[in-house]
Amino acid sequence: MMPLAMVLGGPLTLEHALFLASAIFCIGVYGVLSRQNVLVILMCIELMLNAANLAIVALGRSMAAATPSGPVIANQSQAFVVVVLAVAAAEAGVGLAILLAAYRRWRTVKAGEINLLKG
Amino acid sequence: MDAVVFWGSGLLSIAASLLVVTRRNPVYGAIFLVLFFTTISLDFLILRASFLAVIQVLVYAGAIMVLYLFVIMLLSLQPEEIKEEVKPARKVSAAVFAAGLFFLLVFAIRHSPRVRQAPDLAGDLAAGAAPIGTTEAIGIELFKSQLLPFEVTSILILVAILGTVYLTRKRAPNPAGGGR
Repeated sequence: MMPLAMVLGGPLTLEHALFLASAIFCIGVYGVLSRQNVLVILMCIELMLNAANLAIVALGRSMAAATPSGPVIANQSQAFVVVVLAVAAAEAGVGLAILLAAYRRWRTVKAGEINLLKG
Repeated sequence: MDAVVFWGSGLLSIAASLLVVTRRNPVYGAIFLVLFFTTISLDFLILRASFLAVIQVLVYAGAIMVLYLFVIMLLSLQPEEIKEEVKPARKVSAAVFAAGLFFLLVFAIRHSPRVRQAPDLAGDLAAGAAPIGTTEAIGIELFKSQLLPFEVTSILILVAILGTVYLTRKRAPNPAGGGR
């Protein structure tokens, strides 16, 4: 374990940003696997999408200083994050609509109790 | 200074995401998710993505979380409806799987030569380099190199709107009664 002052005073490397992104992603994975409430599962998917966005932006930022064409690559990566954001919005809309329709019919929001397709 | 802000917001975002995952009441989870989105927006600012930082607060913390809270309030779940009986064995195996995935990712990141050689994220750009992260620069990329993903996204959103309206419309009552 590195001393705290060294980490805080030292440079901000790509490694650190990717560690943070993978930690958030794994917390989201744990939530999806261990929770029953569909609302919380959808929120955990948002966590994972945000972790991926953070990794994309950090990778683009590291490319920006590395090569002459870097700023263009950084901007392309950020444009891609905008697309991911639109996908997240569409996912939230459709996911919550399915949840509402399922709640109207079965009066439950627990993933384990909506088991019509279970063989 | 950049590193201090990045680690501060990073630790805060990990704490907020842990609270999102562990709170039983989804209303508290949604509130902590707003805090999480704000800390990610701080990270975007450090990484010179100013447009994304604003959009993160506007779209995620503003629009998407209001949608979540709206649905939570619409359902107005009773305490016994949000009570979860997850077996401890399932929780432990989920934690082991998530921790294993994390260590796999850390291992891959630590052993990647390209990640190790990457320059300091807080360093300056080359003199005269094009600006990054501004609204103009992202807009130009979105309409030049990312035109096809942009157009496909518009179709995706159209389909999502149609699907949402179709799924939430009022149905005639089921004569056979509910599934349960």
